[in-house]
Amino acid sequence: MKFKLILIFIFCYSYVCFSQNDLLSLIDNNTTEYSNYIFKGTKVVNSESVEMPDNGVLQFMIQHRFGTLNSGFYNFYGLDNSQVRMSLAYGINDRLSIGIGRSSSLKAIDSNLKYQLFRQSKGNKTFPLTICLNSSIVFKQYFKSTSENSIFLLSDQFSYSHQLLIARKINRKFSIQLSPTLVHYNLLSIDQFNNDLYSIGYGLRYKLSNRISVNLESFSQFNSQNKINPISIGFDVETGGHVFQFHLSNSAFMINRAFIHETYDLWSEGSIYFGFNISRVFTVKE
Amino acid sequence: MIRKILPLLFFISIDCYSQQYIANDGEITFFSYAPIEDIKAVNKKVSAAFDISNNDIVFQLYISDFNFRKKLMQTHFNENYLESDIFPKANFVGKVFALEDDSAIVRGLLTIHGVSNEIEANGMFIKNNNSIKISSEFNVKLEDYNVSIPTIVMYKIAEEILVNVVIKLNSKR
Repeated sequence: MKFKLILIFIFCYSYVCFSQNDLLSLIDNNTTEYSNYIFKGTKVVNSESVEMPDNGVLQFMIQHRFGTLNSGFYNFYGLDNSQVRMSLAYGINDRLSIGIGRSSSLKAIDSNLKYQLFRQSKGNKTFPLTICLNSSIVFKQYFKSTSENSIFLLSDQFSYSHQLLIARKINRKFSIQLSPTLVHYNLLSIDQFNNDLYSIGYGLRYKLSNRISVNLESFSQFNSQNKINPISIGFDVETGGHVFQFHLSNSAFMINRAFIHETYDLWSEGSIYFGFNISRVFTVKE
Repeated sequence: MIRKILPLLFFISIDCYSQQYIANDGEITFFSYAPIEDIKAVNKKVSAAFDISNNDIVFQLYISDFNFRKKLMQTHFNENYLESDIFPKANFVGKVFALEDDSAIVRGLLTIHGVSNEIEANGMFIKNNNSIKISSEFNVKLEDYNVSIPTIVMYKIAEEILVNVVIKLNSKR
């Protein structure tokens, strides 16, 4: 009987004697930890990454591509030729962003919508991948004389691309992305046979330091007549308000349809384009 | 005999239990006053527990729950400075001393960015029926917690950060 009594006493006493660690565990509620910042910028190199401007943030981006490195001293190794794409992107909410851009050499205006379907997370809610849907429409202006031709329709100038962006942050330095892509042309050029072209993109990001990362990007085409795939390597450098992305690529274009399926230069021949992106963000809505 | 004592003991244990006060929606705000820019961030998901019986007090928060007006700052805060993917939580484990007339001194170990330092702060403890409202203000030096600020942004980020705590704890049932 006495033994029982003591036991009960001990039991009750244990309630009184809470240690600090017990107190900590009392409030240590499990939350969901999301993997953020899978890529530094909204682009891996040329193609879209799973990142998008934050809610209420407007991002202005200038993308420059120079001529090929093998074009000789006369052309200053490509630096004499340059083309530019200027774009704006805005985060409508945490999951949706809208963008508009214009490429100088292609005379093309493009617009895209990016929507985040899933977010990589651990804890209460665990999901292994971040998945986004990216759809873009391109309006490639033709010469006035061509456009005025009666059999030439306005819709002929449009092409579309739809992508699923599937990314995973493996650890804090290393991220990967796969982007199955469908490009649809309303009007085909003479050397093309399919209106719908399929491809898959690969993207890698490795952080060299907190502010510098190296990116790799390539696409494999499945049913295109053009067998040359774009391969790009880039460095992202972050300096406070800006992100600079320097890269080398065998494609000079900055919109999906063009750099995936209209790349005709080869790394092996040295037809490599040097380029950079600069992005700056503005907080529009707080 | 034991039948008489048992309910009594049970009562005692319940009484002891109710001496704990907890919260999980406390607010911690920090301010950085620098020549070029003033920065402020709020975390509204701070949890805390206070045990009146032995004056133990603990706070805990997730670094990624701090909200900044400018989202880019929030990115840099998490990615470059506090490295919230490696050190997701910050906490304080301490004791309350000299609690009288609603004011007290709190001493303990503050852990941020994986580094623990002994700190001391003055606080207000305002007790109501079933709740205690805690408020306090203290300074945190960034270099004490291995948070390095590159020279390029030195005029934008203060070396010493003012931390403001407001938490209402309810008694645990």
